[in-house]
Amino acid sequence: MDKQTHFGFQTVEESQKARKVAEVFHSVAQKYDVMNDVMSAGIHRVWKKFTLETSGVRRGQRVLDIAGGTGDLSRGWRERVGAEGEVWLTDINSSMLTVGRDRLLDEGYALPVALCDAEKLPFPDHYFDCVSVAFGLRNMTHKEVALAEMLRVLKPGGKVLVLEFSKVWKPLTPFYDLYSFKALPLMGKWITDDPESYRYLAESIRMHPDQATLKAMMEEVGFVRVDYHNLSAGVVALHKGYKL
Amino acid sequence: MDSKLLEILVCPLCKGPLLFQKNSQELICKADRLAFPIRDGIPVMLESDARPLADDENVSQA
Repeated sequence: MDKQTHFGFQTVEESQKARKVAEVFHSVAQKYDVMNDVMSAGIHRVWKKFTLETSGVRRGQRVLDIAGGTGDLSRGWRERVGAEGEVWLTDINSSMLTVGRDRLLDEGYALPVALCDAEKLPFPDHYFDCVSVAFGLRNMTHKEVALAEMLRVLKPGGKVLVLEFSKVWKPLTPFYDLYSFKALPLMGKWITDDPESYRYLAESIRMHPDQATLKAMMEEVGFVRVDYHNLSAGVVALHKGYKL
Repeated sequence: MDSKLLEILVCPLCKGPLLFQKNSQELICKADRLAFPIRDGIPVMLESDARPLADDENVSQA
């Protein structure tokens, strides 16, 4: 029998998780940006800005944006590396990737794109200066495999940036739970007519490893000098690690 | 997408080089005998979406 994994609070067979995650993102792609703004009251922009500004990414560098979806980070990377740099916008979901690619084209950025599975990246070893994954690792079936692939495609000295929901400061937990499990699905229902996808979002956040566990996981895979920074009291954490 | 950028991509399975076939809009891994499609300008680098090459199919050098 197939190994089991979690899809939000449900237990599903490993081979089913990717398909179920794909359904969620095909469903929400068109309204993903609106929902992000509504759900986080625009704060997701601050989280992404922090990621970009503390990255140390410079002009001329190569950056891989994994689970780049609608392209928020890719745009920021492109502005930082300039035309002489190289930014790949990638996602496993064709709906999200098409929305992102077209939106960046409308803004005048023709970035290279690829539909790919983070557990099997189609890039050579030691190629990128920075790999970023924002709100994507949570949805991956084998997180260690994906992290090992990110390590492989990084140049020695290159860094990975993982922006992801994390474990909120304990005193805030009751409010955060109320918000996530009552308010979020309601907003999902009003805006996208898809409360189930937003229930998955809330549940998948709770199932994701906390700050220390993810740090240990990154070290286990081979990243060094791994550290994290809590944002918004741990609603989100930015983990950073380097390749030796 | 610029074909120079396509040349950067490798096979997601064996990490070997790929051959770009302009006519069919495919990226071919000769080792795994798989053709990865380019759909709507987006290379689809998933094994599940790749076309297995026929036994007698010849891959011309681009």
